[in-house]
Amino acid sequence: MGFEKFLFYLFAAILVFAALRVITVRNPVHAALFLVLAFFNSAVLWLLLEAEFLAIVLVLVYVGAVMVLFLFVVMMLDVNVAPMREGFIHYLPVGIVIGLIMVLEMGLVVGSDFFDADHFAAVAAHPADFSDTKELGGLLYTQYVLPFELAAVILLVAIVAAISLTLRRRPGTKHQAPAQQVLVRSQDRVRLVQVDSEEKQ
Amino acid sequence: MITLADYLVLSAILFCLSVAGIFINRKNVLILLMSIELMLLAVNFNFIAFARYLDDTAGEVFVFFVLTVAAAEAAIGLAILVVLFRNRGTINVTDLDTMKG
Amino acid sequence: MDFQVPDFSLVLPELFLLGMACLLLLVDVFIDDAHRRVSFRIAQGTLLGTALLTYMQMGGPEQIGFSGTFVRDDMGSVLKIAVLLATATGFLYARDYLRDRNLFRGEYYVLGLFAVLGMMVMVSAGSLLTIYLGLELLSLCLYALVAFDRESGTSAESAMKYFVLGALASGMLLYGISMIYGATGSIDLETIRAAIGERDAGNLVLVFGLVFLVVGVAFKLGAVPFHMWIPDVYQGAPTSVTLFVGSAPKLAAFALAMRLLVDGLENLQADWQQMLIVLSVLSMGLGNLLAIAQTNIKRMLAYSTIANVGFLLLGLLAGTPEGYAAAMFYTITYVIMVCGAFGVVIYLSQAGIEADSLDDFKGLNKRNPWLAVLMLLVMFSTAGIPPLVGFYAKLAVLKAIIDVGLVWLAVAAVVFSIIGAFYYLRIVKLMYFDDPTSDAEIEGSLDTRVVLSANGLAVAVLGILPGWLLGICAAAIG
Repeated sequence: MGFEKFLFYLFAAILVFAALRVITVRNPVHAALFLVLAFFNSAVLWLLLEAEFLAIVLVLVYVGAVMVLFLFVVMMLDVNVAPMREGFIHYLPVGIVIGLIMVLEMGLVVGSDFFDADHFAAVAAHPADFSDTKELGGLLYTQYVLPFELAAVILLVAIVAAISLTLRRRPGTKHQAPAQQVLVRSQDRVRLVQVDSEEKQ
Repeated sequence: MITLADYLVLSAILFCLSVAGIFINRKNVLILLMSIELMLLAVNFNFIAFARYLDDTAGEVFVFFVLTVAAAEAAIGLAILVVLFRNRGTINVTDLDTMKG
Repeated sequence: MDFQVPDFSLVLPELFLLGMACLLLLVDVFIDDAHRRVSFRIAQGTLLGTALLTYMQMGGPEQIGFSGTFVRDDMGSVLKIAVLLATATGFLYARDYLRDRNLFRGEYYVLGLFAVLGMMVMVSAGSLLTIYLGLELLSLCLYALVAFDRESGTSAESAMKYFVLGALASGMLLYGISMIYGATGSIDLETIRAAIGERDAGNLVLVFGLVFLVVGVAFKLGAVPFHMWIPDVYQGAPTSVTLFVGSAPKLAAFALAMRLLVDGLENLQADWQQMLIVLSVLSMGLGNLLAIAQTNIKRMLAYSTIANVGFLLLGLLAGTPEGYAAAMFYTITYVIMVCGAFGVVIYLSQAGIEADSLDDFKGLNKRNPWLAVLMLLVMFSTAGIPPLVGFYAKLAVLKAIIDVGLVWLAVAAVVFSIIGAFYYLRIVKLMYFDDPTSDAEIEGSLDTRVVLSANGLAVAVLGILPGWLLGICAAAIG
């Protein structure tokens, strides 16, 4: 067993463990953190597959942005965990049976002759000066320019949708209005009042 | 040597874990959303493994787009969750059975 | 690197739509609620302008651009025009409804236009990547639109269900796509078609991928057993959004099935035919039977949609050009009928009242005879009563499957339609033979009345002269 194979099994084992914990832990915060662990291990495995750019993007974008958003929402909502566990035990046997059957069936297909080493021999490693990022970038701006623009539109839709769904103006909150603040003139704020001095009686 | 089938089996296991997760966590929307992220991760594994063993970059490009879309999807899903929480004060799915038929 | 600048004139309608949607987003920020009509007018102008540009592109041979990711053909152009017109009609019907419920905001139209862009991309997709991105663009907009009424818990709840099931369906679809990619080595539909044609090896893997693809498509179409989201979303969403979700996206889903199963995987037709037969029979059966038990018109129409999807699948699974043309005709006419039915429901919904119970239709003839006539036409047509267009649509589909020898399926379809006719006729009975429960005035603006009348009459006119649209569909599939 080569060193690479050892690395593969090590990280795959941690990945499967983390994924299992994501779906079984009690607390959503823990689930999110296990998902982060799963993403880190996947990134390592993607490095083994020489997809360096995507591995880094997975960590930066997924762990750095998406999972943080998840954690943010979990903490903001302050959910009561106990009632959500109801039914967990009830559904667990069904879940395990379905999961096992699917693993077996899918394993039979993807582990079949079609994908063995004869058909898909390992491709030679890229030379040391090969840049995965450059390759992907070149394709994105030429061959895949239409999908690239569509991805931009999808991100715009996500912004518009998320803001229009969650932005609300609560009555009674106090904001600063810098534009109005700088336009204030001294006459508006300071009023000189002539007060007649009163004599003591 | 690591074969393509190794990666595909790993991805199939992840995929099944995510489907099982959706089944057993029916009441917990947050974990449901995380199971969906896990499912997309499994799909990405497939694409990257194929891209490597077919020596074709199209698979990696696909993963790039799946990651983008998944980020947008998570943002919208969480926004809907927040709206739901504000209206109902809960995200417990058992309390959410007002529609029947 | 041999790179040629792509021919941008191919995507001119899409570019126009995108530009105008961004413009609308900007303009909307700077206008106050009193002038919100401007947003509505820009949106309508954009849709009609895009339809005109698409019409000008029509004709001529198939053109492939953007390195194979985009295909312009006549089927695409016809479906795009239908999508644009259905959306414009839906926006018009929804205007007063939205204003009465404080939902008349610019984002509604921005999200609507982006959803239309997603549908247009799906319709013209030349690779699995563009299909996926178009589908997601559409779905993300729809999730947000269903939850658009932020004050309503029901709406948020149905949006959440829609989101979870939709995301699950996308995951399934993607897994299928990855398997097809692995087995054929390409994400380009043309190349996939050629690769499957020249070798049988790896058939198991292809069929394995196909199963996931069909599950994904069935989810998006709402075929049984992947229909769970449809009734809840139809009932929970604001009626204007239900109209939108129920109309144009069905055309896009049809295009999705055509591009994936026919353009890409036609050589696996024997395999997907069997899967579609199961989906189709289940959808027709369950949809029609459950629709009878409903008391909410939106929920009833949801089950009616499921039953109609079953019929649509019949045309597809025939696997012949006639079958595809019949399915396309069926989808377009079905969308016209859905627009009419929900148009009447929205028209009945006065300020503060949701006319979504079947009881709201009681005695409609006494309250507003013309509206009752329009609803009667639409209901008769959906039930498949001649000489309305729904009858010819069903006939064309049945003929296509009888031609390929699936007579038992045709018989089953006829039986289920007869069961289905019951609940459509029940609405007619409520309108004409029961006493009204309320005598509130039913008012609406002039343009809505004109378009709604045209919508209702179209069902009759297309029924008397079905040859025109049927000819367009046959030529488009070609």
